[in-house]
Amino acid sequence: MIRWDVISGNLPLIGQKLVEHVLLTVTAVGIGLVLSFLAVLAIRRWRGLAGPITGIAGVIYTIPSLALLAFLVPITHLSFTTAEIALVGYTLLILIRNLLAGLDAVPLDALEAADAMGYGSTRRLWQVELPLALPVIAAGVRIAVVTTIGLVMVTAMIGEGGLGQVMLRGYNFRNDTLVLTGFVLTVALGIGADLALSWASRRITPWAAGRN
Amino acid sequence: MSTAERVVFEHVSKRYPGTGSGNAGAVEDLSLEIPAGKVCVLVGPSGCGKTTSLKMVNRLIEPTSGRILIGDSDVAKQDVIELRRGIGYVIQQVGLFPHQTVGENVATVPRLLGWDESRRRARATELLDLVGLDPARYADRYPSALSGGERQRVGVARALAADPPVLLMDEPFGAVDPIVRERLQNELLRLQDQLAKTILFVTHDIDEAIKMGDLVAVMEVGGHLAQFGTPAEILSNPASDFVARFAGADRGLKLLSLVRVDSLPLKPAVTAQAGDDVADARSRASADHFPYLLLVDERRRPIGWISQSNIPTAGALTADLATGMSPLLDRRTTLKDALAMLIQAEVQAGIVVDERGGVLGLITADDITSGARREVEA
Repeated sequence: MIRWDVISGNLPLIGQKLVEHVLLTVTAVGIGLVLSFLAVLAIRRWRGLAGPITGIAGVIYTIPSLALLAFLVPITHLSFTTAEIALVGYTLLILIRNLLAGLDAVPLDALEAADAMGYGSTRRLWQVELPLALPVIAAGVRIAVVTTIGLVMVTAMIGEGGLGQVMLRGYNFRNDTLVLTGFVLTVALGIGADLALSWASRRITPWAAGRN
Repeated sequence: MSTAERVVFEHVSKRYPGTGSGNAGAVEDLSLEIPAGKVCVLVGPSGCGKTTSLKMVNRLIEPTSGRILIGDSDVAKQDVIELRRGIGYVIQQVGLFPHQTVGENVATVPRLLGWDESRRRARATELLDLVGLDPARYADRYPSALSGGERQRVGVARALAADPPVLLMDEPFGAVDPIVRERLQNELLRLQDQLAKTILFVTHDIDEAIKMGDLVAVMEVGGHLAQFGTPAEILSNPASDFVARFAGADRGLKLLSLVRVDSLPLKPAVTAQAGDDVADARSRASADHFPYLLLVDERRRPIGWISQSNIPTAGALTADLATGMSPLLDRRTTLKDALAMLIQAEVQAGIVVDERGGVLGLITADDITSGARREVEA
């Protein structure tokens, strides 16, 4: 059923698509994180923005991925950009929510102490609040990464898609081995990324041992 | 080492919008001067504005009117960040940074001030030593691995890190159990003997106020200053019914913990040494209404009591005639502790001794109670 010669024959293609898959994911979560952080900064300054911003991110999240791609293609064509716009859009709700939850969970006494010792607000954010919010933020990044790895498959419909293309090709040529290869690698990528991020998160927050 | 600075409140008020007078946390026309190097305790029921008053010093809360001076400079005219780095701050929940080690926590203000790494480490080590935590064991731990009492010690060390002239402490020992609290209080008093900072200390516990304060400011709900004075003044001469009630019905007893043995007139002790002639000893003993002789050694250190009836008719006194002993009281023992020792030893009189252990005189339970009564009436 699995034809190893198909796998070995397509190894360069599979490797290239795997790299593309990772690249699409990392780019989407990276841009999503920057945008979410900016959104959260805005919300901290103008509390009234919290409702509208999370509302918009929520609406984006509910749009079916195929429908969103179909809507974007006439504007940004079949491109990496189109794929990224969609993928970034889906990370926003998760990341904004976790950033807000992480920052809200910073103990008030630590904030009061920071103020009283003469931290300015920027320094307090970078040196006290974000480090303390890190476990929750990292949890959000994990969910966003795993979700995005799955969603990248869908962008195969517009000629991107990383491992999704391997599966699509397998489907078109009725080649079960390629379908299975794409599937297995994607699942492995998701699980691997989750474990790696979980490990990394524990490494950079040694103080939180036993808390999460 | 920096010198302490006085802290002055000049007609300071804080009103919160939308509420009338008497609202929780408000402060009404507070004027106080805390001399440099003294501990002033702000005490009162919850909502009396004591914490608000404290937080106006480092401008975590800005007053509605009036001014606060540290030394001679108005805090409102200083850069708020600079001001806060120059004032130590300790709170009940401690507020240690969970993501930093104990050593890093202690060195927070030095880090903000831009000290280099080696100087920060040296300072953190010195301060952990000062508050009784072994730097080798504690410096690299995270706060989550410490007990409540240890955390509070780290909090105090952190507040002292940049050697600020003024320390603000908001119910610092409110969250630890009574035994640890007692120990931390004693340690702070010992530290204060060395450091002589100006300390503003907030508590709702009158006993803590009396113990810790050189001066006590009693506040009542609405943010009024009900009385400002030494602990003895507050206890012996409360300015109003409110202060009297707040100080408690047992304020006479509380005074006992403020007055020391050497402030009472001592009764002379009739002493004798081994080898003294018994006839001479008997006549000296009978001149006193107290039916005992106190046997002392050649350096006047007490050995024990000899009952008059036990003195033999002829010969010399010997040490084995001594049948009982009283507790020895240092001149600096408080009347409260002295009374406790007398009750525990089931004796009428304690022997007051000097630094070398020589007899100064006697003090009885009656002397202690009448002394306390005099303080209350004074």
